[in-house]
Amino acid sequence: MVQALLTVENLHTEFRRAEDVIYAVNGVSFTVAPGETLGIVGESGSGKSVSVLSVLGLLRGTGRVTQGTARFGSTDLLKLKRRQLEDIRGRDIGVIFQDPMTSLNPTMRIGDQIMEAMLTHHFVGRKAAYNRSIELLEEVGIPDPQTRFRNYPFEFSGGMRQRVMIAMAVACEPQLLIADEPTTALDVTVQMQVLSLLQKLRETRRMSVVIITHDFGVATNFCDRIMVMYAGKVMESAPLEEFLKRPAHPYSVGLKSSIIEVGQTNRVLLPIPGTTQQLTEPPRSCPFVDRCTMAQDACRETLPQLRQLGGADHWVACLRAEEVVRHAG
Amino acid sequence: MAIARIAVNGVAPARRRSQLAMAWGRYKKDRLAVVGLAWVILFLVIGIIGPWIAPYNYATTNFLTANQGPTWQHIMGTDNLGHDMFSEILWSVQNALEVALGATLISFIVGVALGLWAGLKGGWADMVVMRLVDFMFAFPTFFMDLILVTKFGRGMGPILFAIGITGWAGYARLIRSLVLGMRNGEMVEAARALGATQPHIMRKYLFPNVMNNMIVALAFGIPGDLTVMAGLSVVGMGLRPPLPSFGNMIAAAGSNMLGYPWLMYFPAGIFALTLLAFLFVADGLQEALNPKGGF
Amino acid sequence: MGVVRFLVKRVVSIIITTAAIIAVGYSLMRLAPGSYFSSTTIGSQMGQLAVQNPRLAEQYEHMFEARYGLNEPMWKQIFGYIWHLFTFNFGNSFENPSAPIITQLRSAFPISFELAFGAVLLAVLVGIPLGVLAALKRNTWIDQMLTTLSLMGNAVPSFVLAVFMVLLFGVWWQGVLPINGWGQWQDAVLPIIALGLGNVGSITRYMRSSLIEALRQDHIRTAEAKGVKYWPIIFKHAMRNSMTALITVVGPMFAFSVVNTIFVEQIFSIPGMGSLMAPAFQADDYPLAMAEIYILCLLVMVMNLLVDLGYAVFDPRVKLE
Repeated sequence: MVQALLTVENLHTEFRRAEDVIYAVNGVSFTVAPGETLGIVGESGSGKSVSVLSVLGLLRGTGRVTQGTARFGSTDLLKLKRRQLEDIRGRDIGVIFQDPMTSLNPTMRIGDQIMEAMLTHHFVGRKAAYNRSIELLEEVGIPDPQTRFRNYPFEFSGGMRQRVMIAMAVACEPQLLIADEPTTALDVTVQMQVLSLLQKLRETRRMSVVIITHDFGVATNFCDRIMVMYAGKVMESAPLEEFLKRPAHPYSVGLKSSIIEVGQTNRVLLPIPGTTQQLTEPPRSCPFVDRCTMAQDACRETLPQLRQLGGADHWVACLRAEEVVRHAG
Repeated sequence: MAIARIAVNGVAPARRRSQLAMAWGRYKKDRLAVVGLAWVILFLVIGIIGPWIAPYNYATTNFLTANQGPTWQHIMGTDNLGHDMFSEILWSVQNALEVALGATLISFIVGVALGLWAGLKGGWADMVVMRLVDFMFAFPTFFMDLILVTKFGRGMGPILFAIGITGWAGYARLIRSLVLGMRNGEMVEAARALGATQPHIMRKYLFPNVMNNMIVALAFGIPGDLTVMAGLSVVGMGLRPPLPSFGNMIAAAGSNMLGYPWLMYFPAGIFALTLLAFLFVADGLQEALNPKGGF
Repeated sequence: MGVVRFLVKRVVSIIITTAAIIAVGYSLMRLAPGSYFSSTTIGSQMGQLAVQNPRLAEQYEHMFEARYGLNEPMWKQIFGYIWHLFTFNFGNSFENPSAPIITQLRSAFPISFELAFGAVLLAVLVGIPLGVLAALKRNTWIDQMLTTLSLMGNAVPSFVLAVFMVLLFGVWWQGVLPINGWGQWQDAVLPIIALGLGNVGSITRYMRSSLIEALRQDHIRTAEAKGVKYWPIIFKHAMRNSMTALITVVGPMFAFSVVNTIFVEQIFSIPGMGSLMAPAFQADDYPLAMAEIYILCLLVMVMNLLVDLGYAVFDPRVKLE
């Protein structure tokens, strides 16, 4: 097996509030291989964004990492000083955020914002940075890049802004691109355009991509590997094919059956009952137990650990995973 | 939440009280605001009983004891006419409170009336009121106060009226924006969709929300009007002596400072502390009632 | 959309507003009982004459009324007066009939302008760093102290501060800084501090809250994700947005300072607009008082216009309307 590009192990992140603590990420581990696209799927509040932002040191407010390692190449990102991390962000790891309306600086020309990414890291000189910004704008499909270079974000549509964000994120040719809900805030038609742009860039650059989404459809269309998160824990992780064929966690099964696939007109949608809750203490039993149709007493007493299923590259945190597979299959 | 409050009407008062309790809890945490509140209360009490406990009348002059430093007879000294400064200050508190509270009340009533009218009626009423507000904001209203005081005289009534009638624009603008924000807000829309009547919406949604903002605005308004009143004295257009006022004492102290500094310590010190106290209270109220900050 | 159209609209509104102020001021003063002859110099002479020779006094009064157009219908007087002020034809004051008002204003106005401008400049120079410091150290004792101090600066009016300063530098630290007069640069130090402390407080508080707000914005996280360093994020990204909106705070602040120069000039005996205004009002010297009010209102309004223009220049999203 090839050396992984990013290896996160046993990550814990919490947010301190006035009276209590929110345990947002509770022991998450995953790896991203070079050239691989990992899709992290989960409901809002499942800790999927927080776990990735923790790794990059981009947590807001009182959030902090309490435990874990995140090896990028040979360095542990979580042990780096602020300055060292700043050198890696934007140069080796690019990030795209959810809301293109608010994620660009409203008072800076978009060209300057793209150039800033390169100039910060002395990636190229000023002149070259300008030329490259124009090229990048062209590459992400913005017509008339010379003129648009001088425009401000408010002069762009949502989809166009997301393209600018993407151009900014890949400006320094990062090895890893992290896309945090890149299409959530966009119109459905624009979503597909942006996704196929990401796909194109991924292929021409051979970068690894981590895409965080609550849209199961986006993940299955785009990713090599799917990781399902719930309550700040990994529920299941498997290559796409395997995952689609043999989902082994009741939550994954639920996710799969709660979406409409193209061409299916007469299927009954099965929503997962209940809602997620903020964790004010770390989970001691399976966090999904209250919404699970297969819950047993054992599920309430132990915290299922992520384990390999049947020797394949398929990991699941459910006591009854084998039964789930048999059931669904 | 909107739905719940309509459906279970009887719960509303309890909720309201607990909100007040919560606000008080937040207020208590601000130590300066609590100290400020204590001073403000003391100030109010003195405003009421001051004239009774004052050892001398404000108009009593005694040239034999003029310009004396603090003694047991005159604990804050005397001025160039032999007025007992302690008594002067006690009387001034009453005058200051009467003018500041009266003026703020006038501004408030005019502002709320016009703001409500503009916000609820809309159309040309809104336009007229907003043009008036723009007009009032375009230049410093202190000049208008000066003109009005020149015209109507330097008594309590004219000064109170002048400060009051020029200070309404801020309240009007605030309440209008609140009304518009609420009228077009989702909460009210939801209530209307559920069939709530206009008066009901006004009572249950508009009023409580507007109240918090108004209390804060009033709390900031009172020290503002105290300052304007004293400012009039500094340019010689304040309360006509012998009526005592902080502004007169401060203005007089400025010219007698080098010889008789106690004429300044007490009035200027007490006046500054009072303004501070009012502002700390206002700031504390702002934090307590609008915890998300600002209006 | 045209800057020209915006300018025309604003200038028209300034003209209307000033005209309205003049009209209100004039009619109030004109209708004040017997006020035109109650100014000390003319009033006392007229009073004497009225005792000695009532008929001559009456004649004089008619002469005066004709001379100043007071026998015309009210609306004509008002429009005439507005026109006079708009053309800076202020006439002579009652108290000092030999000197035209305009020459008095010419020497007084620059002084008041310097003071008000200095107070705003001081506030910007001191308030911004303090506000940034408070924001970056938020919820620490430094922040607490700065916030409380700036609230205090806001609460205590300029004239009280001025009086305290006279005490400080006139009694305790005599001779360190001059406490009255005008002429050398040291004379401006204390008045500007007295005027400016409140403004420093406002700007500190504004800067603190707006920077905290700005640092919460999503686009700050984007810049962080690009690897932009800490200080460039503060200066280039976060503060830039706060700074543009700061212009809108400076406008009202200037107006506030203009009013306060009147008090501070009184206390420090500075021959600016304020030291002309107070006696003018006390002596019912209406021509001078109205001219003063007109000039200061005009100054405030022109400043506000400049502020709005500046805001549109610095923030590309702002559309002039």
